[in-house]
Amino acid sequence: MNWSASIRTIVLVAVLIFLHYTLRPLLAWRASADFLIIALLLASVRVRPGIAAIFGFIIGLASDSLAIGTFGAGALALTLIGFTWSRLKAVFFADHVLLNGFFLFLGKWAYEVMMNLVERRMHGAELLMQILVWSSLSAAVTAVAGVLALMLLRPVLETRGS
Amino acid sequence: MARSPRLTGRLDAVLFGACVILSLLATVLPAKMREPVAATLRGSMVAPLLQLQRGSERWRSAYVSSVREELKRDTLALAAARVPSLEIENNRLRQILGLGSKLQWGFIPAEALQGRGRSEDFTITLSAGSNAGVRERSLVVAPEGVVGIVQTVDPSMSIALLFAHPDFRVSAMSADASTFGIVQPYVPPVTPTGQEASYLSSERYLLELRGVPFRSQLKAGAVIFSSGLGGVYPRGIPIGVVIGEARTATAWARTYILRPAVNPSELSSVMILRPERTSGGLVNVWSDVAPVDSATRAMVAKGIIGAGDSLARQAAVDESAARRAALDTAARAFGDSARRDSLGRLDSLARVEAAATNPDSLILRARRDSAAAARARQRRRDSVAAAASAAPPPPRPDTVRRDTTGGIRP
Repeated sequence: MNWSASIRTIVLVAVLIFLHYTLRPLLAWRASADFLIIALLLASVRVRPGIAAIFGFIIGLASDSLAIGTFGAGALALTLIGFTWSRLKAVFFADHVLLNGFFLFLGKWAYEVMMNLVERRMHGAELLMQILVWSSLSAAVTAVAGVLALMLLRPVLETRGS
Repeated sequence: MARSPRLTGRLDAVLFGACVILSLLATVLPAKMREPVAATLRGSMVAPLLQLQRGSERWRSAYVSSVREELKRDTLALAAARVPSLEIENNRLRQILGLGSKLQWGFIPAEALQGRGRSEDFTITLSAGSNAGVRERSLVVAPEGVVGIVQTVDPSMSIALLFAHPDFRVSAMSADASTFGIVQPYVPPVTPTGQEASYLSSERYLLELRGVPFRSQLKAGAVIFSSGLGGVYPRGIPIGVVIGEARTATAWARTYILRPAVNPSELSSVMILRPERTSGGLVNVWSDVAPVDSATRAMVAKGIIGAGDSLARQAAVDESAARRAALDTAARAFGDSARRDSLGRLDSLARVEAAATNPDSLILRARRDSAAAARARQRRRDSVAAAASAAPPPPRPDTVRRDTTGGIRP
């Protein structure tokens, strides 16, 4: 990845992080899109797995700083997701929009499941409902938002000759 | 210098492992050590993001509070808009309660469910039926006065004809029982444009008091009550208030336009009077009306009151027939149920018609009497004229006037 592509990716990731902390609270949906996950996906498929793991760790830790009870859990989850996506990029050539959407859904859902299990706020049927319904819904919304973002930003993200 | 893929792979693995270990350490970190780390992050890297989040949450809370304020305003406006209608309903219920306490017995309270179609202009649906004791031809009254008469009774509901129905008739009188007449719906003069205008006009609920003797005059604002002479409506129920006198072609009787005591469009609760209550009399329920003494009753019954009473009745019958024909034509044209309604005619009209068609009735007797008197006068004029032509011409006009006037004067 050349410098131009790197800068574009950094800018887009910054915009997505900005949206995460502005648009998300503004909408205040119960199942809202997670722009941090989208930013992580955009970055992970364009950097090495180690860098993706560090990026996931940083944004996870930043999220955890606002939730002391699960401090470290978000960092662990996003580290795993970033590293996995970056590794899978080589396997799947994840340039297809729908495949990206599927990865987004899977990544967000895995993140939600991990956070719910670590938080240990819910048990039994409530936990099951949260994982199967709300986490899935949130993952779907994130996937849709991510696909839309990818479609809109495709001209910007295209790396010529890379 | 290019690094080998193996080396970079190891580097990635090391970085990944380090991140995982750090994350695990963060999760197992004691609370005392966890909080400073989190506070450091919040104060440095996350601080601008928190500012963004706070700003956007303020925006949202401002929006939500403005929506809530708007909802509150709407709720208050809605509540304020309902206050007058609630006051009206409250007053109406109080009036109904007052009427109930005056009637004391023999009434059935009911809700008036008004239709919205053209054919329902003359009828109202009542929420009480035969299960509650409603019978056909039971009177329907409101605190203000006459509403109508029950036409159809079902177990749980009934339909009443309003006073605006074309066949509505009630014998009426003034409060001091000095003036009598027949109240019927006012139908504006038929215009070349047709009858529809009269149905749709604001005058469709007006009443007219017909057959008032010419010597009797009513002032605007005079309250007209049922006289009880017709046998259907008991005496003393307010019917309407005189607005003014109508111009009619009949010279022997007056016709007055009445504003009905009850506004049909505002009817919500009514009382249905049981027949035994009606026969028991309703004097002093609404207001004090002068008693109709037996002499007056007899005079009215014999048609003596009012020189034009009998002729007025005949005229009323003729006009009623013409009116019904016009209304039937209009009903056929409009496709409403006025024709169906006209089948359920009231007693009063039937009684008037029966009196008109009876050869022994006062109407024909009066006609025969007036015709005989006219013939006698004609014979007398003929004989006087013949005598005048046979006599010699008078030398002085004074003498002629003295002589002839005695003969001509009846």
